[in-house]
Amino acid sequence: MIRVTDLRKRFGSNEILKGISFEVPPQTVLGVIGASGSGKSTLLRCLNGLETISGGTVEVESVRLEATLSHSEYRKRVKDLRLKVGTVFQHFYLFPHLSVVGNIIEAPVHVLRTAKKTAETEASELLEAVGMTHAARRYPGSLSGGEQQRVAIARALAMHPALLLLDEPTSALDPRRMHSLRALLRTFVDRGHTMIIISHSMGFLEGVADNILYMESGVAVEFGSTDAVMNSPQDARTKDFLSQAE
Amino acid sequence: MLTVQRLTAILLLFFCYGSVAGQRVLRWGADPSGGAPYVFTDPANPDRYIGYEKEMVDALAQAMGRQAEFVPSDWETLVSALQRKSFDVIVNGLEPTGDRAQQILFSKPYYIFQLQLTVRRDDNRINSIDDCKNRSVGTLANTAASRLLEQRGIPMRGYADPVAAYRDLELKRLDAVIFDVPAEAFYARNNPKLKPAGAPFTRGLYVIGLRKDDDALKAEVDAAIDKIIVDGTLETILKKWGLWNDAQVEFQAPIRAGKESAKVEEYTNTNVTFNWREALWRLTRAAAVTVLIALGSMVIAVTLGLPLAVGQWKGPAWLRGLCTIYVEFFRGTPVLVQLLFLYFGLPVIGIAMPGWLTALVGLGLNYAAYESQVYRASLEAIPNGQWEAAYSLGMGPLLAFRRIILPQAFRIALPPMTNDFVSLFKDTSVAYAISVWELATAYRELANASGQFLLLGVAVSAFYLAMSLPMAHLARLLERRLRDRATERVEEEAAA
Repeated sequence: MIRVTDLRKRFGSNEILKGISFEVPPQTVLGVIGASGSGKSTLLRCLNGLETISGGTVEVESVRLEATLSHSEYRKRVKDLRLKVGTVFQHFYLFPHLSVVGNIIEAPVHVLRTAKKTAETEASELLEAVGMTHAARRYPGSLSGGEQQRVAIARALAMHPALLLLDEPTSALDPRRMHSLRALLRTFVDRGHTMIIISHSMGFLEGVADNILYMESGVAVEFGSTDAVMNSPQDARTKDFLSQAE
Repeated sequence: MLTVQRLTAILLLFFCYGSVAGQRVLRWGADPSGGAPYVFTDPANPDRYIGYEKEMVDALAQAMGRQAEFVPSDWETLVSALQRKSFDVIVNGLEPTGDRAQQILFSKPYYIFQLQLTVRRDDNRINSIDDCKNRSVGTLANTAASRLLEQRGIPMRGYADPVAAYRDLELKRLDAVIFDVPAEAFYARNNPKLKPAGAPFTRGLYVIGLRKDDDALKAEVDAAIDKIIVDGTLETILKKWGLWNDAQVEFQAPIRAGKESAKVEEYTNTNVTFNWREALWRLTRAAAVTVLIALGSMVIAVTLGLPLAVGQWKGPAWLRGLCTIYVEFFRGTPVLVQLLFLYFGLPVIGIAMPGWLTALVGLGLNYAAYESQVYRASLEAIPNGQWEAAYSLGMGPLLAFRRIILPQAFRIALPPMTNDFVSLFKDTSVAYAISVWELATAYRELANASGQFLLLGVAVSAFYLAMSLPMAHLARLLERRLRDRATERVEEEAAA
């Protein structure tokens, strides 16, 4: 179970997240939408430990991150958290000096201490799943944006995360590729993965997310099933956003 | 127009006055640094030069009806300075060697010198030059002593002045030092840490050097030498400086009796003529030392540069400050001064490294400062997203740095590093200042001994290029290999 309770994040006196709470049941996808500056990227960075939380808790399976922990205990738990959470960044951040396979096996081999052979076998399975088998020995600099994204997904999944985070996955894609990405993500959900996808494209989330969290100014305005939020939003601000988005 | 004419007239007048009313001058060149008792700066009055040869030249000039004018110069470049007409005669305890005879003219001899071997007071291994076989011996470059050592195959280190040589003997960088007795008497005999090993040996002559075509001046100088010997002026000067001895009595007797003076040929036992095969062998040895210093200091620069860069980049404030001080100190002061400090300054606190090691360490410390800045710029050029991607895959800071950041930064750093290392190869030449036998020292000493500045210059340049070109080529290959990885796809597609 992934559970976020009263999550707060301040930069100085500026509070970006003002007490966010939600749950993501296993094998489901949560779509987080909201305008730029609503705090959804900061939420993602709190979930993978890149930002230190200022209040509340983040729970991913057995790892429980609390703002009140001592510095050393917090750091220890962030380390554990990062093993449970995989991230696909908006700009992917593939390692340009490593081949596609090298990108995927780097962390399994050096962090999990998986045998290189085993890691490579898993990597080729993942590459097949994301449809990138042909590019295994190539370097990121020679891949298109969509190809890089698929490699980034495979790289994150190679660590067997309990939760996969995707930050604006549609920003680099044309509509046709958006569709195939949606299908790809769904197959991984069917295989047992849990995801949080940050996007401002309602159209994309509609076909892939089970639940939707609508954020505005660091507040979770609306949370519900995709169907409910899309078709009968309760809050006026959600209605407003959806009407402008379409 | 008028002013120009007036100016010309004034200048003409000035020159006429100079030649009519003033005396003709005798411009003489010598090296006054560490030059006692020949010619050196008066410790009591630093504006003045003193020395027995200074007094002798004054007496000679008087006998010639000229005004002596001293031109301070470098011992090793005296012959070429003479040929460039910086002065008209060399008076600096010059020995009439065979290779010099090919370049310049010699006057009659004026002094008989002997050599003295000096060792540390507590050292009883060496009692004569025959005991020096596998020891390192220092002496003045291009002298009877240096030739004697070469002839006997004794490893020799050439110095520009006796002060540095005797100090290195004290510091155990040398096992023995050989100098002409006048210099030895002045610089070593009263040093409680040193002692003479055996009696003075070998006899040689001091002569005055002149330009090849200057026969008229030679006649004038020869006559003047005879005159100050016959009238006892030279004897008075030598006695005053404690340099009068039996050898001088023996040497001056026939001249005073109106007979011919000693023939130069009788004293040519230390002649070594220039030998190309020998010179190339010595250049090769010098090249090996150059490579050793360059590679060694590269290793230091590369390994020390990284912690400096990281300290300055990510360290706490105090460490950043320390690293910045280090970098600014080594970048902001000349490497030559740093080497001199390491070589002459550190022994004061008990650290006396041999010359080649001093050069290796000094250049390494110096270049580490430059490398750290190359690394820092390269590390800072890696986008923060690379760190975040590594962290979010569960890597710790060290693993992320070693596996993700460093390899990328290395690619960026490679071209400027290559540049620095080619220039490091050339900078090994500053080791000349601390008497290390590397290529630049070899060039200077061999060329000064032989006058073969042009040919030896070409040979030495070839040695430098033979070392730096392959390295530049290697770096280019490596760069291309790294670059090709990123672009292979593009090339594949272009080919298809």
